[in-house]
Amino acid sequence: MEYIRLAMKNLLRRKVRTILSLLGIGVAIAVLYSLLEFQKGYEKGLQGQLDQLGAHIMVVPKGCPYEAATIVLHGGKWPRYMEESYFDQIKGVSGVSQAAPILMDAIIDPATKDSKIFLGITDEYGRLRLKWKMDGPGFSNEKAREVILGTSIATKLGLKTGDTFHLRQDASGRAGGKDDADLKVVGVLDRTGTQDDGFIFMPLHTLQQVFKLPGKIVVVLVRAKKIDGASLDKTMQNLRALGGNMNVFPLSELLNNASQLMQVTKVFVLAIVLVAIAIGAVGVLNTILMTVFERTKEIGMMKAIGASPKDIFTLIWTETVLLCTVGGLLGIGIAIVSSRGIEWFFRKALASQFSALPDTTLIGISPGIVLLCVVLSVGLGVLAGFYPAWRASAVKPIEAIRGAN
Amino acid sequence: MTKSAVLEVERAFESEALPNPYVVTAVNLGKIYRRGVEEIHALQDISVTFQQGQFYCVLGPSGAGKTTLLNLLGGMDVPTSGTLAIAGRTVMEEGWVRLSEGARDRLRRENIGFIFTEFFLMPTLTAMENVQMPLLWSGKEDRKYAVELLERVGLGHRLTHRPAELSGGEMQRVAIARALINRPKLLLADEPTGNVDTKTRDSIFELFRELNGEGLAIVLATHDRELAGHIDHVIHLHEGCIVEG
Repeated sequence: MEYIRLAMKNLLRRKVRTILSLLGIGVAIAVLYSLLEFQKGYEKGLQGQLDQLGAHIMVVPKGCPYEAATIVLHGGKWPRYMEESYFDQIKGVSGVSQAAPILMDAIIDPATKDSKIFLGITDEYGRLRLKWKMDGPGFSNEKAREVILGTSIATKLGLKTGDTFHLRQDASGRAGGKDDADLKVVGVLDRTGTQDDGFIFMPLHTLQQVFKLPGKIVVVLVRAKKIDGASLDKTMQNLRALGGNMNVFPLSELLNNASQLMQVTKVFVLAIVLVAIAIGAVGVLNTILMTVFERTKEIGMMKAIGASPKDIFTLIWTETVLLCTVGGLLGIGIAIVSSRGIEWFFRKALASQFSALPDTTLIGISPGIVLLCVVLSVGLGVLAGFYPAWRASAVKPIEAIRGAN
Repeated sequence: MTKSAVLEVERAFESEALPNPYVVTAVNLGKIYRRGVEEIHALQDISVTFQQGQFYCVLGPSGAGKTTLLNLLGGMDVPTSGTLAIAGRTVMEEGWVRLSEGARDRLRRENIGFIFTEFFLMPTLTAMENVQMPLLWSGKEDRKYAVELLERVGLGHRLTHRPAELSGGEMQRVAIARALINRPKLLLADEPTGNVDTKTRDSIFELFRELNGEGLAIVLATHDRELAGHIDHVIHLHEGCIVEG
């Protein structure tokens, strides 16, 4: 018989108490696991979106750059515009490999609050999106009354290549008359796994006309020739030298900004989780200490039949570490099984701070985080078990047995 | 026995040149418990030897000091005064402790088996696992011998039963098998029949007799005069002192 088996049998003696202690640790570890996974998933999702953009620098009208970037990444309405002519200047800046102008707008159905996001693009946008594949011929010219649909929105609207997209059905009151409102579907994108799946793309000039924003764009995405730190800085300096009321910033900064924002939230939540874990640890300490007091006679007997203080210490310590480890594994299991629900909760809870979170899975299974939570659980057991184990090892067999008699 | 006799016994153990007949020797042992300023003399001037293969009875009424004496003999407690040697190792010499707690634990584990009035079996373990438990402390595993012992005490058919599924007599038999698993030189039994009926008492005593017949030294503490009447060597204890029977 081994220590671990004996410890397990001892823990199973008081099933309810053991289960409650397991739950205490389990829930705390589940929250910690979910939080760390969420943070990792968020950064990964954001990085994925940036990679999909195929650009390194963003040029937007003055305003909150984070807000602008969020709009670019996730789509939406941002009532700040710049002149399309500015794009021609950007193209010619030293260090710029490619640039793509974008106009963005959205129509929100007042009844359902459902929004349709429109992107006015040029051929340059397609060249940035190297991985784009679509079913259909694409835009025939720069002013064509045509749309390309992301796969999700196409499915939602029940449209396929060759169908007609009726803008006026959105009843926004902004989209002109019948002639303006009917557009031909000339392509449906294959799934990209990004926000592109939910966008409706039009030629830039068509969108400018439909939304009555002639000559306006919202953002210019820039791919640099060289992306090492110095070269990218130089390209940005050149862009800034163009003047105008513009913000020029690298997209990597967006990731940093978003991460910092998430970091602040994480630190706050982490503090609460650590307090919960500490409470769980005190609960475990209390449980084990109670069992030590209840089993004083038994411990005395063990010593009488040859157990040394070290043996008793090891046994009680094993019980505590086992309890915390199983609790931790249970917590990781809970977090994984209920990850969809937890993710939904996080998305809901953080909606006010993060206008748009990546659509990719945020709470997954990362071996590193699983390992960290297991190590933390074991460490918790080691700490919480020390005092009860020491108390148990100090039991005098003679006194314990005399107490029994 | 004088102190020089004790030392002679120790020397014999250490040299291994001579077969040593003594398992425990005690000279002028005393034990005082202190409660605040009050001193309770539990044992006074106890001088006694226990030889291998002999059966001893410590007889006395409740409070006579039987349990205290057994605890000292088993190295579970240290005397306040006197000299004590267990299995050739000096535990106490003229009131000075000579062995650390760890060393006493080891000494006890390797040489002495304990049986209590309360059986102290682990309720979640089977009879087999209870018997094997002391092996955990010595880092050994001997399932075959544990089965052999349980068969020896007549419980070969109860290996997988838990204490709650056993009678009082059966539980005490499991406790006896557990006390024997480390092949001790001396078995200390403190009122081992105190919690069983007369018939079970007799069968347990018969088992002790058989074990003693196989060469195991046994010291049995009891207040049962009838039981003591069947034992060869009886030490009468009264208010912490050895008295004439």
